[in-house]
Amino acid sequence: MTDKTDGKRPWVFIQGQQAFQFDPQQHDSLLEAMEAHKVAVHYECRSGYCGACRTTTLDGEVEYQHQPIAFIRKGEILPCCCTPTRDITLVRD
Amino acid sequence: MKYTTFSREQNDALKEPMFFGNPVNVSRYDQQKYPIFEQLIEKQLSFFWRPEEVDVSKDRIDYQALPAHEQHIFISNLKYQTLLDSIQGRSPNVALLPLVSIPELETWIETWAFSETIHSRSYTHIIRNIVKDPSTIFDDIVLNEEILKRAEDISRYYDDLIDATRQYQEYGEGQHSLANGETIDISLRSLKRKLYMCLMSVNVLEAIRFYVSFACSFAFAERELMEGNAKIIRLIARDEALHLTSTQHMLNIMASGEDDPEMAEIAIECHAEATELFRFAAEQEKQWARYLFKDGSMIGLNETILCQYVEYITNVRMQAVGLPKAFETSENPIPWINTWLSSDSVQVAPQEVEVSSYLVGQIDNSVDVDDLSEFTL
Repeated sequence: MTDKTDGKRPWVFIQGQQAFQFDPQQHDSLLEAMEAHKVAVHYECRSGYCGACRTTTLDGEVEYQHQPIAFIRKGEILPCCCTPTRDITLVRD
Repeated sequence: MKYTTFSREQNDALKEPMFFGNPVNVSRYDQQKYPIFEQLIEKQLSFFWRPEEVDVSKDRIDYQALPAHEQHIFISNLKYQTLLDSIQGRSPNVALLPLVSIPELETWIETWAFSETIHSRSYTHIIRNIVKDPSTIFDDIVLNEEILKRAEDISRYYDDLIDATRQYQEYGEGQHSLANGETIDISLRSLKRKLYMCLMSVNVLEAIRFYVSFACSFAFAERELMEGNAKIIRLIARDEALHLTSTQHMLNIMASGEDDPEMAEIAIECHAEATELFRFAAEQEKQWARYLFKDGSMIGLNETILCQYVEYITNVRMQAVGLPKAFETSENPIPWINTWLSSDSVQVAPQEVEVSSYLVGQIDNSVDVDDLSEFTL
């Protein structure tokens, strides 16, 4: 796993397994990409205010289109309104 | 400590805790200790809607064609939601405003409670449309055993907090002998504990209790039945998601101890009680599902599926406030509900709704010859 990608198509790892490459040309959010790659994820509002898609990350970085309103702890992200900016590892509970 | 509507204390609101500091004096929003509450206010205001914007007239025909057991499901859910919003429309104001100490949170509480009153008004809008005499439905809310059982468990935490606040304001901390011979022991810490549990109970109400009804409303609409109702419920669900986010923020800020170190200790002390509160509410909602389907299920939804959904959503909500999952279930048995809960598909374009302001000052266009009878040339 490279720490820095070319910045265009970061890899998404789930529980240490390489799952898919995030393509910002195709998907507006990490949630959309996860759905397209058949990764089960809970969601409700898809707009960053309900917090239902809250996911823990082990490493990586994301960027939010709009600052979300839902509560998130350090190390947690809201896939519905963010995109990864480099390789990211998600934890499934 | 006595409550005052305008404290003369020259305090710095940025240094006040969320609750139990000085009462708020100047309602100012140029600076905020917790900007999240300001963001919640703005979001809630942007969500503003009126029940009359939604046309529910087709629901009347749908309702009459429903079999009796489905009418029971539909009406019982409306009654239960009416109870929940009756409580929520007033209680945050009555219970929390006397204790709050920062302006952005005070205004958030008022904005939040106001939006709940819109929900209550929308139930009248729906019920008035489907039955001739709305009283038959509203009157049963204070008679129906199944609803009363829930009312008791929901309002208890609010009532406890309100009563303890009153005693605290009247007597202050310490041991007091009352005129009736009773001795009471008042401490700020026990009041803080009541506030923490009250917020936890409100979180449960908004995060779990509403969702059984939501699921039924959307299940009807999946069959293209009671769609006006579903449109309204979708708007209510959008508001409720915001409200539960707000109580999650309050609880998590408390648990972090950054706001009031004593609150962090209380959060740890209340861990088991809070876990039990969630588990108990989930069991109660499962009993409610049983009551709803006592005479028969509806297409797409039955007691087992609904109970699994209650367990699933309870787990999700518990994790959000730092509690361990109470149930084994990890899959959402009704994934289609998410489409209804997603705000992507809530229609907000003005051309898509009946804009009620157009009705203001409308004129009567039907003119008859008789209307001109008094004219002479």
